[in-house]
Amino acid sequence: MAELALELRGITKRFADFVAVRSLTLDVPRGAVYGLLGPNGAGKTTTIRMILNVIAPDAGSITVLGTPNTAPGLLDRLGYLPEERGLYKKMQVRRVLRFLAELKGVDAKTANHRIDEWLERLSLRTPEKDWGNAKVDELSRGMQQKVQFIGTLLHDPEVVILDEPFSGLDPINAQALKDTVVELKHRGKTVIFSTHLMDNAERLCDSVCIIARGDKVLDGSVNGVKSEHHKRNIALSLEGTPSSGVAEILGDRSLISRMDDNNRYFELEMAPGGDPQLLLHRLIGAGALVQRFELIQPSLHQIFLDRVGATGVEEGMSGHG
Amino acid sequence: MAKLWTVTKREFLERVRNKWFIVVTIFGPVFFGVIMVLPAYLSVRGMRNVKVSDIRIIDATGTGLGDRVATRLNGGPMGDATATQVVLVAPGEVAAAESLATKDVMAKTRRGYLVLDSITIQQQRATYAGRNASSLGEMDSIENALRSALLGQRLEGEGLDPKRVEALTRIKVDMKAERITDKGRGGSGIGSAIFGFLIAFLLYMMIVLYGQAILRGVLEEKTTRVAEVIVSSVSPDVLLAGKVIGVGAVGLLQQAIWLGSAVALYQFREPIFLKLGMPAAPAIALPQVPPMLIAALVLFFILGYGLYAALFAAVGAMVSSQEDANQAAQPVVMLLVFSIIFAQPVMLNPTSRLAEIVSWVPFSAPVIMPMRMSAVQIPWYELVGTLTGVALTCALCVWISARIYRVGLLMYGKRPSMRELARWIRQS
Repeated sequence: MAELALELRGITKRFADFVAVRSLTLDVPRGAVYGLLGPNGAGKTTTIRMILNVIAPDAGSITVLGTPNTAPGLLDRLGYLPEERGLYKKMQVRRVLRFLAELKGVDAKTANHRIDEWLERLSLRTPEKDWGNAKVDELSRGMQQKVQFIGTLLHDPEVVILDEPFSGLDPINAQALKDTVVELKHRGKTVIFSTHLMDNAERLCDSVCIIARGDKVLDGSVNGVKSEHHKRNIALSLEGTPSSGVAEILGDRSLISRMDDNNRYFELEMAPGGDPQLLLHRLIGAGALVQRFELIQPSLHQIFLDRVGATGVEEGMSGHG
Repeated sequence: MAKLWTVTKREFLERVRNKWFIVVTIFGPVFFGVIMVLPAYLSVRGMRNVKVSDIRIIDATGTGLGDRVATRLNGGPMGDATATQVVLVAPGEVAAAESLATKDVMAKTRRGYLVLDSITIQQQRATYAGRNASSLGEMDSIENALRSALLGQRLEGEGLDPKRVEALTRIKVDMKAERITDKGRGGSGIGSAIFGFLIAFLLYMMIVLYGQAILRGVLEEKTTRVAEVIVSSVSPDVLLAGKVIGVGAVGLLQQAIWLGSAVALYQFREPIFLKLGMPAAPAIALPQVPPMLIAALVLFFILGYGLYAALFAAVGAMVSSQEDANQAAQPVVMLLVFSIIFAQPVMLNPTSRLAEIVSWVPFSAPVIMPMRMSAVQIPWYELVGTLTGVALTCALCVWISARIYRVGLLMYGKRPSMRELARWIRQS
């Protein structure tokens, strides 16, 4: 059994005179929750489409579960939730789901059984109302998203690929999605998802890869990435408005190299050689009322901004990360 | 293959389950039946109501010809001849009688008037004027009555018994037209013409209705982004093939139901016509269709549908909105309109140069050839040649469309230019 769920080796994709993905190499271990991070237009969706053999790379090789991704039958072992979601509007929910399952090689009987299970689980089938018999366009947006999510998982795929799964989800559905991802991991499945929301990635992912403008910026386990970028960061929050003396200390570039005002607290990056103990001492000496003073790891968000910066975000596109 | 079946099955079942399909399929034959029976019914009813007898005969012959015509107009000696007004005048008073009759016709007390004089006797010429002068059927019956009356008069002049003359001259002729081909006699001429036109029209309808259905289907999958989910399970080629086959099967089912009910309607036309109180059903013999012809028809049918279905699918994959689709589909629709425009001249003259030319054009051949084949004998080389042409064009269209489809399915936004399209085709 192959160790890796996914191996990309130097894949490149060009569209006319625009390079969407440039020589991307990455490994996704089996059983991992893997985040593909990057601003909009970074090449995440193109990469995912190449993994699913929807489009072919111009160069490079893609191996999924130990076999080339063009191997017949391989696609049946993958589940895919595209970023833009939609279903046949006039079709009955149960029939759409059965259709999607049959496309993945699930026989009708097994499919029916699993559909009922999933509908009940996501409360689309209650004693009062069975939404499975309704037409897709009779469902609310949230319910349609649930149906689509069921469709992705009906064939019990070994690798689940979710493209921006959290976009457009309300908190309740987002929570349900998160729970399902965690449960998939416990069952030994590999989950790969793309997102530009770093907070989600930080909470869920074992490993991440950050890409921007078609290039890989960094990859590795979340812990590894964080310790690699370990600069002594401090979360500081003060009671009341800082006095001028406090502001002077915070502006001392020999002590603090960078400061990010997060409204409820400041995220401070210590300057090389700067001593956190000295900082705390001086702050108290200046009469500041310290509520929180904590040595923290940089957030993925910070790392992303550090490494990609505003330049990594294409013009006209906003990286919310 | 199992996946192709899954896609085909969905296309077929979702369309057949649609309530509009059910309504159209069931009411189609009813509608056709009405179209077929109604004109016959109306004309028969019209005939019964025709008051050809309701005219004035100005008889200046002095031989009693007017009375004879009146008798014949009213169904023979048993009929009520009083409906027709016979005015006997001297040859010199004809003009005055005519102007009086004109006034009466204008006042609607009479339908029209027939003038008989010595010229009628000598040169078999008469004049009729009336409100119904443009009705061919009515003029026919007046002419017939006059001819029969003249004949009777002449025979009596030769010394025959008036009763015998009456019996002898009442002849009704019914002529049946039959077609002769190289293989001998086969069916009625009008039968094969109708059959040919029916086939051409069915194919045309099938392509228009179901070609558009394919376009809409592709567009729906594109705009709802279902396509993206599906092509992560099956290749775009399978999706395209399943769609074309599934929709085609729906079309075939509908045509089969329609044709079946048309045949049934034809079989039971006598009781139906009787129920409606119509005397005799028009005798149209179904043409003898040799198996070879049927095979060729089916081939043209399938290839023609495949050709246009592929083109419509490509159009659907190219665009992202219904408005764009209508515009982009126009060249394809034009090809179809071009075929049906030539259907009428070809039917009227199936051996003309024009008919031959449009038969060789692959885009019109599927509509034109079946029509010509059922009307005239087509040399085998022409049949094989045109069929090959359509098959090759169909293959080419499917190949190009599949490429456009593969790329276009995941492209949203602006409609591609011709240059971009060419790149799509090269690229995939």
